[in-house]
Amino acid sequence: MNTPESAPRTHRPRHARALLRILVLLPWLLILLAGGYALVRFLPDEPVTYPDPVEHFKYGSTGGERESGFPYWIWQALPTVCAEHLPGPGYGSLGFIFEDGRDLPVGVSKRRHLGIDRVFLNCAACHTGLVRDTPAAPARLVIGMPAHRFDIRGFQRFFFECAAGPKFSREFIVPEIERLSGGLGLIDRYLVYPVAIALMRERLLMLRGRFGFVFDQPPWGPGRVDTFNAAKVLFNFPVAQLPAHERLGASDFPSIWNQRKRMQRDDGERMELHWDGNNTHTEERNKSAAFGTGTTPPTIDLAAIARVETWLLDLAPPAWPLPVDNALAARGAAVYARYCADCHGASGSDFAGPKVGHVTPIAHIATDRARLDSYTRELALNQATLYAGYPHRFRHFRKTSGYANMPLDGIWLRAPYLHNGSVPTLRDLLEPSAARPRCFERGNTVIDALRVGFARAADPAQCTASTGTDSTAADLFMLDTTLPGNGSAGHEGPAYGTDLPAADKDALVEYLKTF
Amino acid sequence: MKSAFTNPRSGRAPARLRTVSLNPSRNMGRSLLVALLVILALGAAGGAFAWYKFFREEAQPEWITSDPDMRFKYGSIGAERDAGIPYWIFYVLPRMFPDKLPGPGGYAAFGVVWEEGQELPVGFSKKVVGFARVANNCASCHTTSYRMQADAAPVFVPTGPNHTLNLWAFFRFLVDCAKDPRFNADNLMAEINLVTDLSYIDRLLYRFAIIPITRKRLLEREQQFAWLYREDFPPWGRGRDDAMNLTKYFMIRWPMDDSFGPTDMPSLWNLGKYRADQGMRMNFAGDSHDAYSVVIDSALGLLGAPPKDRDEFLGEVRWLIEYVSAKRAPPYPFAIDTAGAERGKRVFAATCAGCHASARTGTVIPLAEVGTSPDRIDTWNERAAREANAVVEDMGIERAGLVEKPLSGYVAAFLDGIWLRAPYLHNGSVPSLRDLLEPAAQRPTTFWRGYDLYDPDRVGFVTRGIEAERSGTLHDVAAKGGSNSGHAFGTTLPAADKVDLLEYLKTL
Repeated sequence: MNTPESAPRTHRPRHARALLRILVLLPWLLILLAGGYALVRFLPDEPVTYPDPVEHFKYGSTGGERESGFPYWIWQALPTVCAEHLPGPGYGSLGFIFEDGRDLPVGVSKRRHLGIDRVFLNCAACHTGLVRDTPAAPARLVIGMPAHRFDIRGFQRFFFECAAGPKFSREFIVPEIERLSGGLGLIDRYLVYPVAIALMRERLLMLRGRFGFVFDQPPWGPGRVDTFNAAKVLFNFPVAQLPAHERLGASDFPSIWNQRKRMQRDDGERMELHWDGNNTHTEERNKSAAFGTGTTPPTIDLAAIARVETWLLDLAPPAWPLPVDNALAARGAAVYARYCADCHGASGSDFAGPKVGHVTPIAHIATDRARLDSYTRELALNQATLYAGYPHRFRHFRKTSGYANMPLDGIWLRAPYLHNGSVPTLRDLLEPSAARPRCFERGNTVIDALRVGFARAADPAQCTASTGTDSTAADLFMLDTTLPGNGSAGHEGPAYGTDLPAADKDALVEYLKTF
Repeated sequence: MKSAFTNPRSGRAPARLRTVSLNPSRNMGRSLLVALLVILALGAAGGAFAWYKFFREEAQPEWITSDPDMRFKYGSIGAERDAGIPYWIFYVLPRMFPDKLPGPGGYAAFGVVWEEGQELPVGFSKKVVGFARVANNCASCHTTSYRMQADAAPVFVPTGPNHTLNLWAFFRFLVDCAKDPRFNADNLMAEINLVTDLSYIDRLLYRFAIIPITRKRLLEREQQFAWLYREDFPPWGRGRDDAMNLTKYFMIRWPMDDSFGPTDMPSLWNLGKYRADQGMRMNFAGDSHDAYSVVIDSALGLLGAPPKDRDEFLGEVRWLIEYVSAKRAPPYPFAIDTAGAERGKRVFAATCAGCHASARTGTVIPLAEVGTSPDRIDTWNERAAREANAVVEDMGIERAGLVEKPLSGYVAAFLDGIWLRAPYLHNGSVPSLRDLLEPAAQRPTTFWRGYDLYDPDRVGFVTRGIEAERSGTLHDVAAKGGSNSGHAFGTTLPAADKVDLLEYLKTL
């Protein structure tokens, strides 16, 4: 019976037992390993942080990446994958500002969340600009000024159209990521990115549906946004059912300096904020704007926002960088005191005045009413439900019937003028609306030292040429003030200084350079 | 038996046996006791947890309870317990189902009276019963708003008749949401997690208990709301509700019949003017005996169930009656031609006072005499009154109750604040007082109701134009329940007298 075959047979049970033991343990080991990997890989929630408040403002997180963040490598890959949906090469063609040595532009923050680096906009995207003192001078970055070159509609369009096209898929994006990153691990290549691409596409297509109305509006051009129709999307209002006059409201990004001084006005109340003065509380205004950076009540990074908020309280605009004719400015100061100070404050740094931070009724100010009409009582009511369950639930949104009188700190950096950016320079604003340019180019960075604003093309006759398109590869945008929402009328007549002699207007403009 | 249980145990714990007891049966009793105590403790803990998470009641915040107007507008009358909708479900429904709203604007699309900065519209109360819930109180139908100019902020009047509320659409919205296949825990939780940070336990409770139960409860209403879905009935329109049919289908649970009689929300100010002892009756058709009964019955309708604590409930009812009785109609806010009003007072005395400022005021005028639409009367009857009274009596609530007699006409209205009670007649079929002074054939046959811009010229609300169409619903006098016939009184007056009379009516 002791055949050669019998010897292995006697060993077999021992082998089998060992094998069995391994087989039984293996899945558990694998689960343990996978669990450990998942813990280390997917749990961390770490923003990139910056000790310097300026860097924090430019690149720090508001928490928006958690809910809305794009995976960093997808963000980097898309300009190549979907180049046809950008006006020019890279994100710079949308007016994003890239500082030397940076892989992300100003206004884009990064956070490690759900296992990958995710990026999204922060406050600086819309509130940082580029300025050249002269055509030959290098561009300077100015913190807190309106991002007058950032085309946020083009930004939306880029992602929406890319997601809707055939290239927003693993087969196009993953190879580009591999090329840029120098190779992906197996898990990233076959699991993380394919899932991330699918989820991101689904989310973008949902948003594309909700924001569809934006692309029925006349092009905004750089530096403008329809804030409160976007706010309606937050509540999933069926925007298409709204009357046409409520569906339009593109207006300029504002400057965000000197917030502390905006927390009080002559009558002891707070200033009315936003173009139509629909809220008096900077804290709510900031959290409201933070929805635009992708935050939601549970995911907002309150500490990071508070840091920006506190820093903005006393952040002041830079001084006018070119010579000022002091004698002329002194004459202008007298004109200012008589015509402007009541509504716009005693000076660029003293905001005292009986009407500063108050809403002037639309019948009186008579500027384009689209932005006013875009903000409705129904929206204000719904906004009072935001942050429900938190101590900072919104309580101060109100429907108003006019536009708020703003302090003029750093006014030279806030061109074009009026809430909808329909008047290119201060000197033009002092003309009756009939004499204001019918169209002009937005997006230039060079200071117009004479008229105060950004330089524009000399020939406004080419008005009709580029209307109907978003910013062109030449990155200048022709704003046609005859289109709905773009009207440049109003803020005119004897009370507004448009009847003054030319010499007085010149003096006034000279004085405003000191703001 | 005892030994079988104790022996192995004593074998395992000899030390304990030796030191504590040598009597196995005594030890057995002790361990049973311990087990029982553990089970009881666990049960008590579970019970306490369930009580805490589903039934504990937290008082509303002081800004509501300490101010009478706030208490009327936002205070709980106890409806959250049975009729309440879990707060976060209520919160996300308009975002998830905007297609089921009557228009854009979230809950604002229902024409609720809503003060800026308030988390909830007037008439919506939020209270923690285990978890935060939203229900309604009297103010949802009995607070009104008007505007003096199109771009002015609305003026709110607690106890005024809500003429903008689309209650019909609100009822349907809740049922329609529950019927939609998208109404499930996955979708609702995804939406809820976007707006709040619930604890893990609360997420589980919402997912596995609160959402499914809410869906079931909302769907249970579908059968009782069947008449709101009938193709052969028009919508109620803004500012109206089919009150006696609501009572019939919800309180006494009658099967649906073919009656349909929506009426305007009434004003509640100066409720004490209704004197039951002087033969006055309440509700449009005089179907209830006194204010106490009406407030009880209306509140029970909001509760949707017998009150948990009868004394607390009746205390709330008495507070409400005291509050609304002390209120007065607001004065007419536009200019009044005092000379014309003086002349109009004489016209009123000759033409109107016989019913509206006399012993007849507040009593039932026979239908044949007033001649207005009988549809409201047809929605109710003596047997229904008896059954409804029995239901309330079974709750141990004593009240004079509903009139157990056939309905024969409509109550001659007190006219205090009549300027703010447009549209007119019990069914809101005549847009303005000026129109009411025209013969029925010359009154508007269609108009938009529910826009809160006031029309001082016609004395009523603006019922034409883009804004009226946008925020209003179309009233068609040819539709069921919509007839504008009858009340021909004063329609033959000379034009100048009508003008004076209108001027006088503004002063009431």
